[in-house]
Amino acid sequence: MIKQIQAFLISLIIATFLVVTHTTATNLIWLHSINMPVDFQLVLATMATDLVDMNSRGAFPTIALIFVGLLIAFVSARIIALWSSIKAPYLYALAGGAALLAIVALMPMAFYNLDLIAGARTVAGRAYLVVAGLIAGYYFGSHIQKGDSNEAN
Amino acid sequence: MKLINLPLFFLSLLLGSGLAVSGDQNVKVETEIEILAEGLDHPWSLTFISDKEMLLTELSGNLRRVANGLLNPTPVAGVPEVLFAGQGGLSEILVDPNFADNGFIYLSFSAPDTDQPKLNRLNVIQARLEGNVLVDHKTLFQSDPPRRTAAHYGARLAFLADGTLLITSGDGFNYREQAQALDNHFGKIVRINTDGSIPEDNPFTTTPGALPGIWSYGHRNLQGLVIADDGTVYEHEHGPQGGDELNLVLPGKNYGWPAITYGVDYSGAMISPFTEHPGMEQPLKYWDPSIAPSGMTLYRGDMFPHWQGDLFISALVPGDVRRLKMQDNQVVGEEILFTEFGRIRNIISAPDGSLILVTDGKDAKLIRVSAKK
Repeated sequence: MIKQIQAFLISLIIATFLVVTHTTATNLIWLHSINMPVDFQLVLATMATDLVDMNSRGAFPTIALIFVGLLIAFVSARIIALWSSIKAPYLYALAGGAALLAIVALMPMAFYNLDLIAGARTVAGRAYLVVAGLIAGYYFGSHIQKGDSNEAN
Repeated sequence: MKLINLPLFFLSLLLGSGLAVSGDQNVKVETEIEILAEGLDHPWSLTFISDKEMLLTELSGNLRRVANGLLNPTPVAGVPEVLFAGQGGLSEILVDPNFADNGFIYLSFSAPDTDQPKLNRLNVIQARLEGNVLVDHKTLFQSDPPRRTAAHYGARLAFLADGTLLITSGDGFNYREQAQALDNHFGKIVRINTDGSIPEDNPFTTTPGALPGIWSYGHRNLQGLVIADDGTVYEHEHGPQGGDELNLVLPGKNYGWPAITYGVDYSGAMISPFTEHPGMEQPLKYWDPSIAPSGMTLYRGDMFPHWQGDLFISALVPGDVRRLKMQDNQVVGEEILFTEFGRIRNIISAPDGSLILVTDGKDAKLIRVSAKK
């Protein structure tokens, strides 16, 4: 159980890091494209600020949003695993991807079609965030596998 | 919708007397509060068409008349269908400078795009008020390109002294980066003639790829626009979290959004680490935390001599009016007034010198603020 919680928390951190840094990159790449003076030091400073502020200063803490999404997705995956023969890393990867897809797809419905996560405004941006969920889920599936005999393999 | 009644009128007079303590300084302005109407449905804009009569828009699509303090229960007919969603709907009402002779009014509103009904645009029309009906509609402006969001329309209108019309067009929220490009109407102030044509002296008429109607750019969601007697154009706009701005707008200038800003995104992300940059204008004032400025008037009346020349800005958060003391186009003082009404959607000056406020939302009030006798 402790190992599962540990794996979940690390997968949560992975997903949050990838989502936040993607938002930072999206904003800074655009600023650079219009010739604003974006240098490496500024990238690092902005990334650090966003990692703190997107989890503490926004209308919603990003990590809490992802926590809820991954929790629902992983619990669902665990139930599916009872009948499915898909290997755990792949099953949880799909679950993680679905969680992020749900977050970026459902949020605009709650806010007049507004994308509150700037990195989710383009198809490519949404695809990247789904990949972030896939990676986080894959990590979780890989790290619960050995000690969890109930998992389908 | 309710009509004003005498008991309500006297009750509001009894309870509504107040004292506004001016911040500049030690000048106490005593006010009387009068509730003119209640039950308004998302009012957005209002204007006087004579000394005694007002027109008022409701975002839900109604144009209402208020004469001698009485709300006409029958909305004006002939108002175009609007998209009432999110922040969209029937927005600004502006009367022609020669309204007494020609009866023209100007309306801004959001409406579905004709070819792509899932998308929508900001529209501006001219129409003639004949009795209680709008006739002779003419579309003067449609924002380009259409948008899928129902937010950040801007939608304020004002006449410059030369008779041309300024239109504020917001960034559509999801399209904020477009505010820095000149090939679209997101985050712009647009200037047109009252026949819908483009004035030849607009600043970008000869710029390749630029839409010729653009007058200034780099704006977010512009909800206040007034022209001073000397021609100075003041505009205020909602920032994101923090970064609401009051700007002095000049043609051809870039006001920076979202490349420079004093606010952060609703997600908490830094929209830009920059607050200034060569070639981008600084605001006269910014608010952090946000006040959500929703309307603005320049006070020229005689009823409150101490307030002459001040800008009054209605604010949604937490809900009050900001009186800005102006001197040489600089803000030299700020006073917070009328905190008792909650979110205030708009404020105008009445011909008799009183101030007219309208609150926000589904069950809104129309309020007159007069000097205490």
